[in-house]
Amino acid sequence: MIDRIFAGAVLLVALAYVVLAFTVIGAPFQYDPLGPESWPRIIGSLAVLCCAALIIRPEIEDFSASKQTLLRLAILVGMLCAYAFLFKPLGFIISTTMFSFALSKFLGARVKPAGLFAVSAGVGGYVLCKMILDLNLPSGILKQFL
Amino acid sequence: MNFKKFSTILAVSLTLAAPAFAGPIDRPECIAPAKPGGGFDLTCRVAQSGLKAQMEKPIQVTFMPGGVGAVAINLFNTTRTDDDNAIVAFSSGSLLNMATGKYGEWKESDVRFLASVGADFGAIVVPEDSRFKSLDDLMAAAEKDLKSIVVGAGGSIGSQDWMKAALLLGSRQLSPRDMRYVAFDGGGESIAALLGGSIEVYMGDVGELVSHVGEGKLRILAVMSPERIGAPFADIPTAIELGYDAEWTILRGFYMGKNVSDEAYNAWVEAFEAAYETEEFATIQKEKGLLPLNMAGAELNASILERVAKMRDIARGAGLID
Amino acid sequence: MDTIINGLGAGFAVAFDPFNLMLVLVGCFAGTLIGALPGLGPINGVAILLPIAYGLGLPAESAIILLAGIYYGAEYGGRISSILLNVPGDAGAVFTTLDGNPMAKKGEAGRALSLSALASFFGGTFAVILMSLFGPLLASYAVTFSPSDYVALMVFAFASLASLVGSNAVKTLLAALLGLMLASIGIDANTGVARYTFGIPDILAGIDFLVVVIGLFGMAELIHLVEQQVSGKMKALKIDKSFVSWADMVNVKWAIVRSSFIGFFIGILPGTGASVASAVAYGTEKRISDNNGTFGKGDPRGLAAPEAANNAAAGGAMVPMLTLGIPGSGTTAILLGAFLLFNITPGPAMFTQHPEVAWGLIASMYIGNVALLIINLPLVGIFARMLTIPQKYLTPLIAVLAFIGVYSVVSNPHDLYMIIGLGVMGWLLRKLDFPLAPVILGFVLGGLFEDNLRRALSISAGDWSILVNSPDSIVLYGLAIIVALVPVFLRKKRAKV
Repeated sequence: MIDRIFAGAVLLVALAYVVLAFTVIGAPFQYDPLGPESWPRIIGSLAVLCCAALIIRPEIEDFSASKQTLLRLAILVGMLCAYAFLFKPLGFIISTTMFSFALSKFLGARVKPAGLFAVSAGVGGYVLCKMILDLNLPSGILKQFL
Repeated sequence: MNFKKFSTILAVSLTLAAPAFAGPIDRPECIAPAKPGGGFDLTCRVAQSGLKAQMEKPIQVTFMPGGVGAVAINLFNTTRTDDDNAIVAFSSGSLLNMATGKYGEWKESDVRFLASVGADFGAIVVPEDSRFKSLDDLMAAAEKDLKSIVVGAGGSIGSQDWMKAALLLGSRQLSPRDMRYVAFDGGGESIAALLGGSIEVYMGDVGELVSHVGEGKLRILAVMSPERIGAPFADIPTAIELGYDAEWTILRGFYMGKNVSDEAYNAWVEAFEAAYETEEFATIQKEKGLLPLNMAGAELNASILERVAKMRDIARGAGLID
Repeated sequence: MDTIINGLGAGFAVAFDPFNLMLVLVGCFAGTLIGALPGLGPINGVAILLPIAYGLGLPAESAIILLAGIYYGAEYGGRISSILLNVPGDAGAVFTTLDGNPMAKKGEAGRALSLSALASFFGGTFAVILMSLFGPLLASYAVTFSPSDYVALMVFAFASLASLVGSNAVKTLLAALLGLMLASIGIDANTGVARYTFGIPDILAGIDFLVVVIGLFGMAELIHLVEQQVSGKMKALKIDKSFVSWADMVNVKWAIVRSSFIGFFIGILPGTGASVASAVAYGTEKRISDNNGTFGKGDPRGLAAPEAANNAAAGGAMVPMLTLGIPGSGTTAILLGAFLLFNITPGPAMFTQHPEVAWGLIASMYIGNVALLIINLPLVGIFARMLTIPQKYLTPLIAVLAFIGVYSVVSNPHDLYMIIGLGVMGWLLRKLDFPLAPVILGFVLGGLFEDNLRRALSISAGDWSILVNSPDSIVLYGLAIIVALVPVFLRKKRAKV
């Protein structure tokens, strides 16, 4: 069943992909006979066929994950999105400290070690990557102090 | 140094010393609308090190990649239109995007062009043993049978590299749609294809050819600069002097948001003009592989508007835009 | 031959200068660190450290030697996170995860790390030897490789990778197609038309390869790890003291030789690099030696092949850059810029005008390979101990490293969401038994295939016969057929015995 649902979803994407390739995509002129549209038409059509084959003959019936696990994974993805959202405005140090604390706590660490770990990930990561290796990381609201 | 030059510098630095240092630019920032390490990064680095003496605080470089500059121009037309501190790096490629509508609604009139930091120029290159010994050979063959020549360059249809070919053909009323053009992924692959014989003519840039001059493998038929350029290219004629109206200058410079205060804009212009006069600026330009082309303020703005209009003409002529 | 020996002699004199020797070591070490960070590979390592090297005011040969050390070091370092965390450090290290990580999961992290260090050493050294012997000859061959030859090479690559077909052929094909579809997003390289960008400027230039690798592998692995932890399926790993044995080396020797050759050949071609090299080497090796289906489950040969190949490719990419001044990869393009910064022009003349730089660099590559081996082998134990970091800390650390990698390279917050999205997709695909390697392959090879096919047809003005016009292409099509048929043949032979 789950295979069918997934293949169905991919089928919709692939159909949209092919339809665009047959309608919208095209160049005012081109020097090669294929143009920008032929390749997407070919691979898109093949993808549609593959999805159809999967829907007809699915392999996996059940998703081997409990509702509770899925809920927790959704929380994880939420945390990651929050981290991505805050990464630039708050800067690396603060966002990383917050994220590392939250995730390690979520995975069962106790408050003190989690806090220690989070601060060292944020500050240590910044010192190592930004100050020593000169990588481009956001300073965010701590800009004035760094 | 003659007295006049000296006094200008003195005057400029005095005027700068008073208003600009205390004035509108308190946290100068250069936006490179790309990933670290590319051409825009380099443009910002020139400003950063070249304007060290003119700025009270060092210029910070910020990266803002996305859509070959589209993300940056969007931002500077929506939220940061009046940011007096920020300058954004642009190149002729950005101008081309404005001309052909790749930046959506934002056009050259939506920003204030500030200053240039240098230039590169187009070059028409063939292998040493090519059947074309001169630009005239090449163009004569093109007029006879355009389809018989395979031209290659590092960019797609409508890119800067393609524009060079289109301009050259345009000087003899030939349509770029009728040529045989192969788009490679950058200059390195194109030169390899030229040496390996996959293509016959390469529309390159002077800057990347420095390492090939005098190696006896490539021949530059002409450079697409307004005037001859210095060594090691001094012996190479320009397309214009050979009678082909094809000039392609790859400009690198900065723009600001359209609502910045005149005070800040002028302070930046003066800072650049002061820097242009220094030896250090020329050295930095050279180190970064740029040829001198120093223009700021209204002069630059006028020159750019003219360029963009020309690009739009070519693109329209080839049917790339309506 | 004499000039080579004299040149190398002079080169070693430069490279053995105590100061330069120290720079090689520093470069190799810094490179290994950078390479070990997921997302940061040789390109970024060299690009990031170039301004620093220039700022130090070193003489030209010393600065270049330092940068080459970083390049090699990063190529070595990429394997560490692949093996230990199943998170590839960069494009060339994707295939290292396939057998490297299963070995680590079996409690053989030390063995995998030391074995791959040796494979890298052999691949790298093989490339330097070939380069110093036949450099100019190889380079002038590499430029004659035309777009139609690249098409043939891609066909060969796809044929050798047919071995990756998992239990379900439809799923494997669909996975590859998803990769191809992802690669088609962005501005078309031939006509400049935007495809599937929907007016979003952030994807106008296409999706960065790095973003796909980190998302599909790194973030998916992260989600997978958390899933195992929260559902209580997490197995504690044994303390790992394994190390490579002599029997291992005998077992992988042919894999290393074949893969070094493949890697070097693909590396010298200007249009292809370490990612294609390791993919083809892995596929070919699996095709030839995977008789018992052990590949993908921690077979040492499946680990040695891509590692030897990507280091050989790194060396191969130097050939056209040094001898012709043509950069064959992103990293060598940056190295070329470094040469120009020091007013040195790579090309044939460099060997006469600046022999100390040219031969010094080559000599330092020999030394760099040895140095990397010496640095890496004792560190195996320390790296392997990384796995004993409790999962509740290791997991957030993976996310932080992935974010650092993506942001410092691409610097666009938008790409952080992209890796999360791709991570969820990768996790789903894994959950549903889709193999992930074909997605990456589709992504890498698809663009090359389409672009070169259309280039070839532009050159011929639409005449398809150009595809079989050169001896190179015909040889490659022949090899493709052989690679596709060898396993069938071998199976038959075994059936007889």
